[in-house]
Amino acid sequence: MSLAEFGIVFLRALMVFGLLLVATIVNIWAERKILADMQARIGPNRAGPFGILQTVADGLKLFFKESITPRKVELGMYMLAPFLAVIPAFLIFMMVPFGRPFTIGGNEVALVGADLNIGLLFVLAMSSMAVYAVVLAGWSSGSKYPLLGGVRATAQAISYEAAMGLAMVAVVVYSATQGDGGTLSLVEIVERQNGTWAGFIPRWNLFPQVAAFVIFLLAIIAETNRAPFDLVEAEQELVGGFHTEYSGMRFAMFFLAEYINIFSMSAIAATLFLGGWSGPTFEDSVPAFISAILPTVWFLLKTYAIVFIFFWLRATLPRLRYDQLMTLGWKGLIPAAVVWLIVSTISMGFRQFGAPWG
Amino acid sequence: MSWEVDYLAIAPELIIIGSLFLVLGLDLTLPRLKKYWTATAAVAGSALALIPLAFLAVEGETISMFDGSYVVDEFALVLKGLFLVTAYIVFLMSVNYIESERYYQGEYYLLLLASVLGSLVLASARDLIVLFIGIELVTGPLYLLAGWRKGDVKSNEASLKYFILGVLSTAILLYGMSVLYGLTGEITFSGLAEATAAMPNSPALTMAVLFLIVGFGFKISAVPFHFWAPDTYEGAPTPITAYLSVNSKAAGFVAMLLVMYLALPGVSDVWAPALWALAALSMTIGNLSALRQTNIVRLLAYSSIAQAGFMLVPFAAAAVAGADLEEAFSATVIYLVIYAVMNLGAFGVVIAGARTTKSGEISDWAGLSNVDSRAAVLVAVFFFSLAGIPPLAGWFAKFVMFRSVMIAGGAATVVLAVVAAVNAVIALYYYAKVVKSVWLDDATREFPGEFDEPPAGSLRLALAISVGLTVVVGFFPALATFVADASRVIAAGG
Amino acid sequence: MVEPILFVLMSMAALAGAVTVVAARNPVYSAMGLLGTLFSVAVLYVLQLAHLVAAVQVIVYAGAVLTLFLFVIMLIGVDKEEHWEEPLRYQRSFVAGMAGVVVLMAAGLTFFTDFDWVPAAVGGTDPSRTIGTVQAIAEPMFTDWVLAFEATALLLTIAAAGAIALAHYRRRPH
Repeated sequence: MSLAEFGIVFLRALMVFGLLLVATIVNIWAERKILADMQARIGPNRAGPFGILQTVADGLKLFFKESITPRKVELGMYMLAPFLAVIPAFLIFMMVPFGRPFTIGGNEVALVGADLNIGLLFVLAMSSMAVYAVVLAGWSSGSKYPLLGGVRATAQAISYEAAMGLAMVAVVVYSATQGDGGTLSLVEIVERQNGTWAGFIPRWNLFPQVAAFVIFLLAIIAETNRAPFDLVEAEQELVGGFHTEYSGMRFAMFFLAEYINIFSMSAIAATLFLGGWSGPTFEDSVPAFISAILPTVWFLLKTYAIVFIFFWLRATLPRLRYDQLMTLGWKGLIPAAVVWLIVSTISMGFRQFGAPWG
Repeated sequence: MSWEVDYLAIAPELIIIGSLFLVLGLDLTLPRLKKYWTATAAVAGSALALIPLAFLAVEGETISMFDGSYVVDEFALVLKGLFLVTAYIVFLMSVNYIESERYYQGEYYLLLLASVLGSLVLASARDLIVLFIGIELVTGPLYLLAGWRKGDVKSNEASLKYFILGVLSTAILLYGMSVLYGLTGEITFSGLAEATAAMPNSPALTMAVLFLIVGFGFKISAVPFHFWAPDTYEGAPTPITAYLSVNSKAAGFVAMLLVMYLALPGVSDVWAPALWALAALSMTIGNLSALRQTNIVRLLAYSSIAQAGFMLVPFAAAAVAGADLEEAFSATVIYLVIYAVMNLGAFGVVIAGARTTKSGEISDWAGLSNVDSRAAVLVAVFFFSLAGIPPLAGWFAKFVMFRSVMIAGGAATVVLAVVAAVNAVIALYYYAKVVKSVWLDDATREFPGEFDEPPAGSLRLALAISVGLTVVVGFFPALATFVADASRVIAAGG
Repeated sequence: MVEPILFVLMSMAALAGAVTVVAARNPVYSAMGLLGTLFSVAVLYVLQLAHLVAAVQVIVYAGAVLTLFLFVIMLIGVDKEEHWEEPLRYQRSFVAGMAGVVVLMAAGLTFFTDFDWVPAAVGGTDPSRTIGTVQAIAEPMFTDWVLAFEATALLLTIAAAGAIALAHYRRRPH
């Protein structure tokens, strides 16, 4: 590995890191503004124009606050948990291609953290790691409410991970029929969604896989513990859930992880179903640098469209009861995902190989 | 690479899978009081699966699939027939037992069908992976079924002991297989046979083979790996005990013999002495322990341990003496088939008799002939057959065993034959003790259960099939020799 | 050069995790030790170019099985520490001795025999080496081994159905 190659890898990681931090700042502000609008309030409007620097101000405040360590905590795990929350959140986004590859000084730079052969599996692995942070934080706090939050998180994560994975499988199978053989690499999956049907309908996986999209969307909302599935940190029942005993920077890290997770999961959804960065680039009519940036713009637009659904649902729906959550997961989403997988696979088989009797 | 599938060849498996899903669907949709339909589906499935088997037997072709890792030849067909018939009998024995005690019915048949499917897969397996999956599919459901009487502490104990020791033995077995694969790089039996024959004997190879024997030893409950058997047999629901002592044991035997005979003939100097010791120990310790039993199910448990020893005798003797393994192989298979039928009958009659006595203690069975003469006759038939008294089927099994030992010859073989002979006499004592208790002793108490009504039709059918086979094979042993012919095919085809 | 360093580091991490599993007084720490071991082994798989196995290891073991371990530990009493009273005397010292013997034997074998470093990634990142990729594993699994594969699927179904039937407690028999 030459120094230049190493430099590019490093650059890519740095790019992902920077993008996620900026996205988080925007996300938190956007959520507060959107919620405020929907609830006929004004929302943050003091720091910066439209209060856009509010998040930065909050971050600074938390950074300088004292991190209180309660006496009954299990110290090792208590310190470890916030890091376990942030690291998988960052790693998930490493798999997402967020723009068209471009060339710098003879080296091609793919706008993706890492293009792995097992990309989607890596995403699944990392999203299943995220639960450890919640569980350990809840347990190590040495307090009742966080513990309950942790136990709920475990059950919830396991229940919805299955539905999420099955929805992904349907997409992977579909995407295998769109190119040469199956693939789990997100880069490939995006490339296979380039182009249009009948000249104007984009070849997004969303249209043939609409049921998978709905299931996937519900599952990622549950996976990120957002309303209406936010039983892990239900304020009315559990004070603050797993992070009740955290404060200062450690609390900020949980907060950061949550928003990064929302963003990366939305990005995954946009990549799998909405064609990722693919979109018109108008290469003939606009300057070259604009058509180079446009894919990234499309990607961000699609991602934020899904992020908006997160906020929208939070403003609209009341929290589910715990048994409703479990019923929806095990008796609703998983059977639906299985049925959809079977139906869509069989129909694809017909299209690919013809009827077995014909 | 050929993976064309011959659907007729795997039709029995497909039918079992079909009835398995049918049971699952029925269990989901039927109201509670109609759940007995799941039993009907299971019984019908195991009977229907015999039909394609007959077609295949008439055709008599050897069909090899999946790069030779799945072979349907006459040997496999005979064993599949055995597994299906015994499964059919066990299903019949289960119907009323499970329904009257209000266990979960749908899941019971689902699990048992899966186990039957495993034994079918096992009979055709000609490589380590398929073999292993087959073994797991046979035993996995049984861990659960052994604990089916959930309220009963003994049943919990049965399940737990079986599970822990079974999983341990599986781990050992798998470790042996992985070392074997690591040494040779081969996974099919034929490939392994070539590779091991060409290899110099190394400690790693010896270890791998011994690990395999330990693993299989648990499955067939041979001494010294038998500790789980009596407790599990006693605690499990009686039809499951019958299944454990017949199908699952036969499956273990088939797996072990296939591996030793087809995959590792080149290293018989390693496994032959081990099998010799297993056979001698199982017979002796099984029989001596059986002498002291007062509970009829535990007695049958130890008796089945001892019978496992008898079954090993021909194969171990021939291997030790370096004689022709083919003859010994078929002798062991004949013993297995006959044992399966009569042991099932013995358990069936235990279920039938327990309706009257409501007890498993042999002393409580005293005087049963006075109130239920038919059950008493059946006790005599099956227990004397197990002891090997002519003209019941058991004598032919013992005869074949001794004959094959005599053919093998050699000092170690003669010693084994003497051990077997002494043990046959010991076995006669405790089998006769049960019959004496039933026929000659006076009843010490009022029988608590019902004895006016005959047992349920399904149980009577199960008993009729096993008693019929036991008597007919005893009088016409020629019927059993086709089994021997079929198992010789494997030498050519496998 | 990266590979030997990673190998040594990850092996040590795996061993440390394994020791933690046995030695930790608190079951949660044992579980976390197991997590460490599973992760280190996953990295070792990646070093052997077995990407799929590594991913599956993390998803299944670290993601699902161990999470359930933690769940159970927390449900059945989280603050109970294990007692160090040993019902079998000398067991611990015996095991420690055995472990010492094994380590010595391994060290001796490594030292006195022709031990040679064989890098797994002989082809480096050569794309033609695809033994561990998803496609390379999927192909034989759904052709040559489809029977074993389907039987395994059935086995898992059976395990799930049976476990529920055994664990489910019916309050009122019909």
